[in-house]
Amino acid sequence: MSLRMRLVVLAALVMTVSLGLVGAALDAAFYRSSVAALNSRMESTAYLVLAATEIDDDGSLRLDKELGDPRLGQPGSGLYAHVHGRRDHWYSPSSLNQDLPELPPVRPGESVFLQPGAGRDYFIFCYGVAWELANGSRLPITVSIFVDPKELRKEVSAFRAGLGTSLGAAGVILLLAQLLFLTLGMRPLRRLTRDVAGVESGRTQRLEGQYPRELEPLTRNLNRLLETEKTNQTRYRNALDSLAHSLKTPLSVIRSSMPADTAAKSSAIENAVTDMQRLIATRLQRAAASARSSMAPAVDVGRQAERLIQSLGRVYSHKMIDIDANMDPGLAFYGEQRDLLELLGNLLDNACKYGHGKVRLRAGPLVADKPRAGIRLSVEDNGPGIAPDARRTLLKRGVRGDERVDGHGLGLAIVLEIVSAYNGEIEIDEGDLGGARVSVVLRTQ
Amino acid sequence: MRILLVEDDQDLQTSLAEILRDAGYAVDVSGDGVEGLFFAEEYPLDLAIIDLGLPGMSGLELIRKLRAKERRFPVLILTARSEWQDKVEGLEAGADDYLTKPFHPEELKARVGALIRRAAGHTQAVIEFGPFSVDLASQRVRRGEEEIDLTTYEYKVFEYLLMHPEEVVTKTDLSEHLYEEDSDRDSNVIEVFVGRLRRKIDPRGKMNPIETLRGRGYRLNNPQRAS
Repeated sequence: MSLRMRLVVLAALVMTVSLGLVGAALDAAFYRSSVAALNSRMESTAYLVLAATEIDDDGSLRLDKELGDPRLGQPGSGLYAHVHGRRDHWYSPSSLNQDLPELPPVRPGESVFLQPGAGRDYFIFCYGVAWELANGSRLPITVSIFVDPKELRKEVSAFRAGLGTSLGAAGVILLLAQLLFLTLGMRPLRRLTRDVAGVESGRTQRLEGQYPRELEPLTRNLNRLLETEKTNQTRYRNALDSLAHSLKTPLSVIRSSMPADTAAKSSAIENAVTDMQRLIATRLQRAAASARSSMAPAVDVGRQAERLIQSLGRVYSHKMIDIDANMDPGLAFYGEQRDLLELLGNLLDNACKYGHGKVRLRAGPLVADKPRAGIRLSVEDNGPGIAPDARRTLLKRGVRGDERVDGHGLGLAIVLEIVSAYNGEIEIDEGDLGGARVSVVLRTQ
Repeated sequence: MRILLVEDDQDLQTSLAEILRDAGYAVDVSGDGVEGLFFAEEYPLDLAIIDLGLPGMSGLELIRKLRAKERRFPVLILTARSEWQDKVEGLEAGADDYLTKPFHPEELKARVGALIRRAAGHTQAVIEFGPFSVDLASQRVRRGEEEIDLTTYEYKVFEYLLMHPEEVVTKTDLSEHLYEEDSDRDSNVIEVFVGRLRRKIDPRGKMNPIETLRGRGYRLNNPQRAS
């Protein structure tokens, strides 16, 4: 799951739970306060009823018609009253057709408040009083008020609906706000991603931006890694180069010091020197291959081919050579520039040397819409070509001096090393121009 | 022809200079880039051989500076760096050819000869001039079918004149291009060589290809055009 998704889901969860708890608390509080208010109102109604009560001298109940609360006079109003004397009962007119429960009398001075529940369909408030009769005796009376919970329930529902709407709206707003904060908060991460892509593509050499403190260890380490890799590569290359240099000069001295008359011995030395030269060139390539950077910037193949063609033009100015470069425009090679130049240089040089004045270079991506996958290229000339047997020998890596086909040998040996380093393929056949054609595939991913 | 060799490895320097001198070239040597640049600016050179790995100033830098100072003689790079990246950089800096170490002395001589010929406008190793046919590679001179036997210095004078046909060549030009720095030069010797050369290539005195321009120098004229 993506980081963003994760954060959004967690936030939504936390918010739902919090808002839910808040809602539940509010709901409970409202209910309690509603019930408490009802309780008070029922108490007031009880006093009203009491005020309207008259007791005759013989103890019988009589109530005024005017009860103060019109609802007590309306049947089915939801508000019912009952007065219980010694022997008689009085029911409010509203209690017509109501099945009001029978309750035990309440002792004078005490009150009872009951909520609807098991077997009870009403809120009930009972109040006990002692009525002083004319003859001095006390008559216990209980006033009971009944309220249909329907009305309270409607209020609570209305409240709940309102609460639900408000909390829902609040939830949506909070969620949107959270998404906004996430977007803003994740910006440094997105910037980091962009900068890393910049390093990968070669636009920059290190991560240059300003990052928040939490990302600093990451960017610092990444930069250090990039630098170390570059330094190591340079160091390694320099070591190899100085090794090669220090070997080649003494070899030159040997070569140039050899007498011109070719005795059998000096021919053996000749071959040995040539082999040493070839080994240095090819082994060097192979070793340098292992020092390749994984984050190579894109190389403009057209531009590098242009450089080579111009250079070859200078070297072969005495020969009229027409080099036709037919390349996909904007073709990029995601490997080392040095390797591309070496491979193309050797192939083109051979074509110029052994062709009869016409060379054609073709290059394109390995996979049409995946530029990083690699490139394929071919170099052909109009020379005598290479015989099929010779082709096999040439394509064998590590061919010894005496088996080597003169001339093509060293150049192709180096090309082989590079092709191998890039997990590629190479093929020699006859081209359209009539001479040799060397086709190469280089993989960079 | 006069060649500057800039190579810091003493053994190689000595050995190469000897090979080139044997082939008839006047060779000035230097072991570092700064001195090499000075020589290139001061001496009238026909070609320079420059090793890329020099102390002081890198070979590439030396070449760039040469070209910046309008020194147009051909430059051959010697390099242990055989990678194309380096060859291309060298050629882009202004060199005309490269030779990677280790190399055949024969290869060096052939490349040097080719570069000098090309600079003079010749693409072939054999120059035809009037009735004369000169093979620059083997340094053989023919008049028609007959081969003419010239000494080293006689040939050098003839070759230099052939590279600058129909041009006025002063005695100083000749002595500076035929001798290294610090050699014992005597302008009278040049006169002697020219005289001997004339007698050998034109024994009957009918063609007079080498014209003396009093007070100015010599000029090699095409005999066929003259008549």
